[in-house]
Amino acid sequence: MKILIAEDEIILQESIVKFLKRDAHICETASDYHEAASKVSIYEYDLILLDINLVTGSGLDLLKLVKREGKKIPIIIISANNSLDDKVEGLDLGADDYLTKPFHLTELNSRIKAVMRRGKYDGDANVSFKEITVNTDAMQAYVNNKSIQLTKKEYDLLVYFITNKNRVLSKEVIAEHLWGDHIDAVDNFDFIYVHINHLRKKLTKAAANYIKTVYRIGYKFTDEDL
Amino acid sequence: MTEKKKVKLLKKTSRSFFTYSITAMLLSVVALFFLTQYTLKDETKESLNSAAFRIEKSIKKDELLINIHPIIHTEKVAGLKAQHIKDTLLYDPAEDELEPYMELTRYREVHGNFYKISVRTKLVELHDVMQSIVLSSIIFLLVFLGLYYLNKKNIESVWKPFFDNLKKIKGFSVQSNQPITFEDTDIEEFFELNTEMSVLTNKVISDYENLKHFTEDISHEIQTPLAIIQAKIDNSFDENQISEKQYNLLIEISNNARRLATLNKKLILLAKIENQQFKTSDKIDFTEILKTSIENFDGLSELPILMKDMVPIEIYFDEYLAHIIADNLISNAIKYTASNGEITIRAINNQFIISNTGKSSIKSPEKLYNRFYSEHKTKKSLGLGLAIVKKICDRFGYTIHYTFNNNMHTFKLTFK
Repeated sequence: MKILIAEDEIILQESIVKFLKRDAHICETASDYHEAASKVSIYEYDLILLDINLVTGSGLDLLKLVKREGKKIPIIIISANNSLDDKVEGLDLGADDYLTKPFHLTELNSRIKAVMRRGKYDGDANVSFKEITVNTDAMQAYVNNKSIQLTKKEYDLLVYFITNKNRVLSKEVIAEHLWGDHIDAVDNFDFIYVHINHLRKKLTKAAANYIKTVYRIGYKFTDEDL
Repeated sequence: MTEKKKVKLLKKTSRSFFTYSITAMLLSVVALFFLTQYTLKDETKESLNSAAFRIEKSIKKDELLINIHPIIHTEKVAGLKAQHIKDTLLYDPAEDELEPYMELTRYREVHGNFYKISVRTKLVELHDVMQSIVLSSIIFLLVFLGLYYLNKKNIESVWKPFFDNLKKIKGFSVQSNQPITFEDTDIEEFFELNTEMSVLTNKVISDYENLKHFTEDISHEIQTPLAIIQAKIDNSFDENQISEKQYNLLIEISNNARRLATLNKKLILLAKIENQQFKTSDKIDFTEILKTSIENFDGLSELPILMKDMVPIEIYFDEYLAHIIADNLISNAIKYTASNGEITIRAINNQFIISNTGKSSIKSPEKLYNRFYSEHKTKKSLGLGLAIVKKICDRFGYTIHYTFNNNMHTFKLTFK
């Protein structure tokens, strides 16, 4: 997948590129509004990550430009501004998602994949790993084509694992993905273990093995040995 | 210091004007009465003296006694006596009644004979004096009332620009970003007041704008470095085989970066509520929002959350803030409940009541809603959740009460 990262903070830009390249994406970068605007009009991209506050212009203007040219490119806004108005405005202008800084790169990754699965981009609603398949439209998981019943959180957890396969996911990152700001209510994230265990029990014995425990750190969804 | 009772300016000025004028008028009526009486008596004495003098001269010339009842009476007497003056009542045949007279009696020796000369003149009656004074007072009073009315109208028109501008100042809102345009006036003091008020309100507006931008800028400036820290840590987890020691170090940095980001978000929210940037009123069912919120906490803790009396609470309120209220109070309850405790939530009679088990009442309930106040320093609490709830309640006229009964901490939020 070819992704344009329009972000004026070079270090953040580099970190995002580094992370996404591990999933074999082709990443191009733009460090200001004009560079982003010219790249968008010349090249074709599968996705744009767009910072609203670009040094020489507003990301929202770039968003309008893309929509005006009639390009059917998924756009995810990454913004330092948490205000609800900005979020609503961005989504109204046709952005597909809105992520507030700071965010986890694994969270960004799962948002990218969720956007790409959408019907309007001819994406496949199915996420799969080996014998596990998840239909994200029906919110239904299958192991060896046999449906399994998962709670909302277990389902979210499984999709998050598959979209971030082969990556180490800490308890904190998982908790934040599943509960967002609500995790403020708890002091530690050991309870994640309970949810992982429930999920393991519901997957078949073989599939359960993909959730590997990285000692004291977190989990990794993979079919390789650690 | 006790506050002074407030009276309307126009009322106060016209009231004192009225009081002083009426008092002055009453005093002048009394003074006028005595003054008139005195002057009349004085004049009467003078005319009696001159009449007696003329009679004396006539006697000297003609040596004839003159008697005109009741005003002149002369007679020969045996000796001289001192002159005296007195008031007396005499029958007046013309009027057929007793009338007050002033009588001057004087003794004179004319060519060896002694004469007693009495002259009398009718006094102006007291009630006649009174009558004319009262009559003229009534005329004065009518003139005064007319003047009073004119004066009142005049004062009203003079102060009109002041009251118009006061109304505009009352309607002034710093958020509206609209400076006040004052009515022009030909009164110098009012003009000065308007100029100073314009300078002041424009300063307030620009300060407010600056503060708002500063808050937004700070938010942006803090979130970006935090995003970089987070991204760097995520990449380290992802690509390197890191030791447990390194991991613990990184996770501490990561957790604190998140703490800082949350703190930042909450402070911005507080500022926004304070700056009254939430104005939207959607008709919402708070109970539905409460149910969603409870669902979102599902799985986060093992504590049972019991829902009782979930009756719809339909209010006009900002939906986002409604979620914040529900989330913050539930989060607070989860945080301070022991693992064997429970949480009860009720929505009934326009009230949202949340209780959780606890050993003892909190020590300083008055500090409960203070920013950064936390009873348990061991808990990783920012101490902003309840401050935000309280701020929202104050802003929208809701009330929140804390009580501790039967080992239950209870927060009761009443929508108006």
